[in-house]
Amino acid sequence: MEDAPVELVRLSGVGRTVVLPDDEDLTILSGVDLVVHGGDHIGIVGRSGTGKTTLLNMLGLLDRPTHGTMEWAGRDVRRLSGRATAHIRGREIGFVFQQFNLLPGLSALENVIAPLMYASGREFWSRRRIAAEMLERVGLAERLDSRPQHLSGGEQQRVAIARALVRSPRVVLADEPTGALDVETGAQVMTLLDDVSRDSGAALITITHDPGVAAIARRRYRLEHGALHPLEAAA
Amino acid sequence: MIGRVLTGFAAAVIEAWHELRIHKLRVLLSLVGVGVAVAALSGTVAVADIGQQALVEQYERDGRPAMLNVYAYDPQDDTGSGASAAIVRPAVAKVTEQFQISHASMAGNTQLRASRADFTSDVDLLVVDPPYAVMHRVVTRQGRWLVDSDAANLSPAIVVDPRLLKDMGLAEASLPATIDLKGASTTVSATIVGVTATSDRYMEFGRAYLLADAYEHWFGATQPMADASWKIWVPTDGSEELTEAIRRSINAELPGFETQVDRSDYLAWGGNDDLDSVKWVVVAVSSVILLLGALSLLNVSVITIQQRVREIGIRRSFGATSGRVFFSVVMESIVATFVAGLVGVMIAIALVNGPWTAKYLLEGVADPPPFPISAAVLGMGVSLLVGALAGVLPALVAVRVRIVDAIRF
Repeated sequence: MEDAPVELVRLSGVGRTVVLPDDEDLTILSGVDLVVHGGDHIGIVGRSGTGKTTLLNMLGLLDRPTHGTMEWAGRDVRRLSGRATAHIRGREIGFVFQQFNLLPGLSALENVIAPLMYASGREFWSRRRIAAEMLERVGLAERLDSRPQHLSGGEQQRVAIARALVRSPRVVLADEPTGALDVETGAQVMTLLDDVSRDSGAALITITHDPGVAAIARRRYRLEHGALHPLEAAA
Repeated sequence: MIGRVLTGFAAAVIEAWHELRIHKLRVLLSLVGVGVAVAALSGTVAVADIGQQALVEQYERDGRPAMLNVYAYDPQDDTGSGASAAIVRPAVAKVTEQFQISHASMAGNTQLRASRADFTSDVDLLVVDPPYAVMHRVVTRQGRWLVDSDAANLSPAIVVDPRLLKDMGLAEASLPATIDLKGASTTVSATIVGVTATSDRYMEFGRAYLLADAYEHWFGATQPMADASWKIWVPTDGSEELTEAIRRSINAELPGFETQVDRSDYLAWGGNDDLDSVKWVVVAVSSVILLLGALSLLNVSVITIQQRVREIGIRRSFGATSGRVFFSVVMESIVATFVAGLVGVMIAIALVNGPWTAKYLLEGVADPPPFPISAAVLGMGVSLLVGALAGVLPALVAVRVRIVDAIRF
């Protein structure tokens, strides 16, 4: 008998409001309910300006909800200190950004090493070997010393995927991971992201405006006017 | 816990080093600003040390601390001349033996006429005992100083200053050489056995040093030394009490004479006030230099952080705490200024020990001080302090940026 998947994140009636310069409130998200389990692959589609990135930022503990409750592994995130939040971000969450956000001036290997600089013990002292193995997994064993500006878009996103997964996070958050890539390269990157996440047992949450990308996910949602609506389950 | 702290520290240093490696141009700018400031600071302090040493040596040519000047005269003598050396010398010898004083010398002054071949010049003759050189920092740069056995020479040994040597048309390489010293009614052929390192620029004539015993032998009968005084070199600690005790003893040894026993070195007349002035000028100049260096570093640091906001946001998404970001930015500044400080100190050492300094600053300095360790330590310490202070402001900016805003920056 298989173990029940572990609940990682629970959003209950979560909303996010910002105050505009003229003191008016702008509601970006409202009443969002979502539960993420280990090994999930969730796709969230929505047009620009619907709050996709805001939702992803909250899921990644980069931002906090103004309404509702959000739990991370059963802990209310409002009660987490800045240090604890940073620790969870480093240990449990991996980010893949649309613009790759590789650190300029660092090689592919050094970029993947970067998150391990915030680790401790064996993970820190063996960082070079761990990062090299991760780059090998994404097919960049020959490009370890290449700088971002010398890599193609697809290769840069692979480095970003390796960097997101190098600390074996429990949740991988991908913000428009194919947004800066051509269709063919985007499909390859998504397949890689799905495979590597699945292999490591991490939950993968992808937000995209491309229904094709979201279609790869096993659970799909549409974000519209700040509200999250489930779509039919993938076959 | 300790392991985690050590790992964090090591990681912060590595990150700082990576940043410096990546941003070579910025590092170079920081290096130029801080390096020049530290070089100027260390160099100024070192040059001030040399200047101070030169000033001290110049002062000490009038007597090293604590130098007592002993003078005796007969109040019944209407000529106003001092007591003769034959009377005072035994008294001084007895007192120096009583107080176990190792350095004492007569210091009598008279004027003679010197000549050699077609060269003729007046000469200021200083009649001394062998310890005089040590007591007054008289250093010979060629030949040697006078010794007791010189008193028995058939041609009296003299040491001259460079000016007299030149006046006699002689070069240092031609020593020993003889010149004629003409007194009131005696002419003596004297042998120059040494040349001092410097001439006294305030003297009207060149100078020659002659042993007191030799003077007495050759000129004593026709031109007895009048107004001679004696110098006694005593430790500075407890010199006041010792001066008083020596004064009493000299008085007791010379009944019927008035005696004066007083400090005559620069510390007694406040010469060190000048040295303090030099120090304060150096501190003021150094502070201005340092302030300019620190401002340039701060300027570069703040601009850099504004350029690095996105990178800091990305690092925080990896789990960097605000404390870690703060520490990394400060550490980066410190590592940069440490390297800059090191380069600055090395430049200062090269300049201070360079030929230019030797030619213009060390001329006439008998004991040129080595590059002061304190100047190097000060330069390094100040560069680290400036690095830390210049790192704090950008570090505060870095931790105050919201992560979501930083990533989109």
